[in-house]
Amino acid sequence: MIHFQNASKSFNGTQAVQDLTLEVKEGEVFGLLGANGAGKSTSINMLLGFITPDSGSVQIKGLDTSQGAWDVGKLIGYIPENVNLYPYLSGLENLDYFCRLAGLKYSHDDLQGFLAECGLQNEALNKKVADYSKGMRQKVGIAIAYAKKAQVYLLDEPASGLDPLASNELSDMLKKLASEGAAILMASHDIFRVREVCHRIGILKHGQLVKELRSEQVSANELEMLYLEFMKD
Amino acid sequence: MWQIIKNEWKFLLRNRALIGISLVFILILAASVYLGSLQSKNQTQQYESAKDHVRKQWESIDAMNPHSAAHYGTYVFKPSNLLSSLDDGVNSVTGNVLRVEGHVQNEMVHSEASQMQTVSKFGKLKGSLILQYILPLLLVFLAFHSVSSEKQSGRLKLLVLQGAQPSSIVWAKTISVWLYGIGLLTLTVLVYALFNPQNISAEVLSRTISFYLSYALFYFIVSGLTVFFSARWQNSTIALTSMLGIWILWSIFLPNIILTSVEKLHELPSRNAFQAAMKEDRSKGIDGHNPSDERAKGLKQQVLQEYGVDSLSQLPINFDGIRMQADEEYGNKVWDKHFGNVREVYARQKQSYQFAGIINPFISLQNASMGFTASDNLHHQEFLLQVENYRRSFIKQLNDKHAYGGSKTGDWGWKADNAFFKSVPDYEYQPASLASVFPYYLTDLLFLSGWTLLVSLLLILGTKKMRVI
Repeated sequence: MIHFQNASKSFNGTQAVQDLTLEVKEGEVFGLLGANGAGKSTSINMLLGFITPDSGSVQIKGLDTSQGAWDVGKLIGYIPENVNLYPYLSGLENLDYFCRLAGLKYSHDDLQGFLAECGLQNEALNKKVADYSKGMRQKVGIAIAYAKKAQVYLLDEPASGLDPLASNELSDMLKKLASEGAAILMASHDIFRVREVCHRIGILKHGQLVKELRSEQVSANELEMLYLEFMKD
Repeated sequence: MWQIIKNEWKFLLRNRALIGISLVFILILAASVYLGSLQSKNQTQQYESAKDHVRKQWESIDAMNPHSAAHYGTYVFKPSNLLSSLDDGVNSVTGNVLRVEGHVQNEMVHSEASQMQTVSKFGKLKGSLILQYILPLLLVFLAFHSVSSEKQSGRLKLLVLQGAQPSSIVWAKTISVWLYGIGLLTLTVLVYALFNPQNISAEVLSRTISFYLSYALFYFIVSGLTVFFSARWQNSTIALTSMLGIWILWSIFLPNIILTSVEKLHELPSRNAFQAAMKEDRSKGIDGHNPSDERAKGLKQQVLQEYGVDSLSQLPINFDGIRMQADEEYGNKVWDKHFGNVREVYARQKQSYQFAGIINPFISLQNASMGFTASDNLHHQEFLLQVENYRRSFIKQLNDKHAYGGSKTGDWGWKADNAFFKSVPDYEYQPASLASVFPYYLTDLLFLSGWTLLVSLLLILGTKKMRVI
């Protein structure tokens, strides 16, 4: 579903992503670990079609993402570190608005259903998003992707700043989405969360995928040791 | 696009600060138009009463020598134009009273500005002040972060991934802000109509539509350009600074710089030089009060020959009246020559100033606004021309009465009766119709349309490759 083939990208002479080859299949959660500047966000932006690789290819479901974000965008659910919604709208209104932009008109009950599926409490539905916690906004963000039946979920540092409960809820949601067939790529610093949620894990360093392994191959502590080892220059 | 516009309006309607500002704004606009209407009504009443008073004075002349009556003269008052509560234009500085008498073309006196207690750079609180200076600023403040905030918050990515084209986002933001301006503009016009229902006529309606169209185009230019900067720059502060810089340049610096340059380019003679030239040319003509004047002698011979008599005493008419009229007609030619020159300079100045609209649409807006509300110099010059034509006809009637009314040459004691003075028509101003002056404002409308097109192109082409991240 997600496919990087020798993708490279540099900015002003600095190599952000180098010869990245990676695949994420349907129903799979792939965790991309790496320090700040390792190339995680650049990789996600290439998938989103907002950055074109200098060489190699980036595809989602066989579609070249550099050909324009519009077609590919229909398939993608994107959850940034901070899901910044419209603060003057309620969660329900935000979801309705983003759905309508995608050409989807859902009934009030359907919208409520999506938000409930994504774990947003009933009493929060009609509150202004300005009063939402980061976790609540993230749930609406996931609901937006869920409502448009995204087949690919791209998450950029989703667990950063979430309290443990919200973080757990996020993990459960991602597992559920994967079980429904979505391909998920999650960029994160959070070794333990990645180990817990992802089927496969890759470590990015200076834009290069220096290690790829299955999560069951390592414990969280071993993964941490491995990660720290790779981070040493 | 409609969804984005709807969402933008939700933001406007749910933002308490903005609602507060809008309400204050609406109140100020309504108050300025209301006060303008009151002032206009007051001026109209004063105009009617002064006109009536002066006319009664004239009609109460019992018996008087017609030439003495020409010196006694009368007064003409400039009526307040119907749309002056929207834009007072040059009216506050041009004066509104003109003395009409023989031998001389007087200047207008009693300008509103000369009688104001306080002097302000921007003058009185008028609808045009708010519509031209304040409302565009408000549009800039509404638009400067419209796209950059979407970028900075990362929402732009979400919008694009949901299928919204960047160009649709930019257009929707522009239209939303523009509609806000249009809403306030519409309200202003409605308030005007509410307070002046008696003024509504086809002429006023067509002028108001043209006025409205000019502002609508200008608000689009301001909204679109600000949204363009907001989309172009990563940082909203840069977008705001750029647009404020342009606003200051457009509304404060460029009009002054261009006006000064235009006045230098097409220079008017100084008042002293103008009066000296008029005096000199006038001295070359017949002196109506000097029978021994050489040119008057020539005229006398001509008239004597015409009547087949040898002396003035044999004339069945009063040669003094003919001489006075000849003096007057020569004076008219001198006036036509000198004021004609001045009017030509005004026309060239106006044309050059209008062309500055190519770099500054604010100039086009100001010209169009004053023009369509009939309060610019062109309409003022038209008024002066009508007054001068009236003066000529007025004095001619008096001179003709003096010449052919039954008196003999040298009989300065002869008097025309009250019926004659009553028969001299009063001055009635015929305001220029929009159809007759519209071509003068086509340049302004064309430049405003050109700017609208340019901004539209910027929005279409300049944001095609807009950076989403």
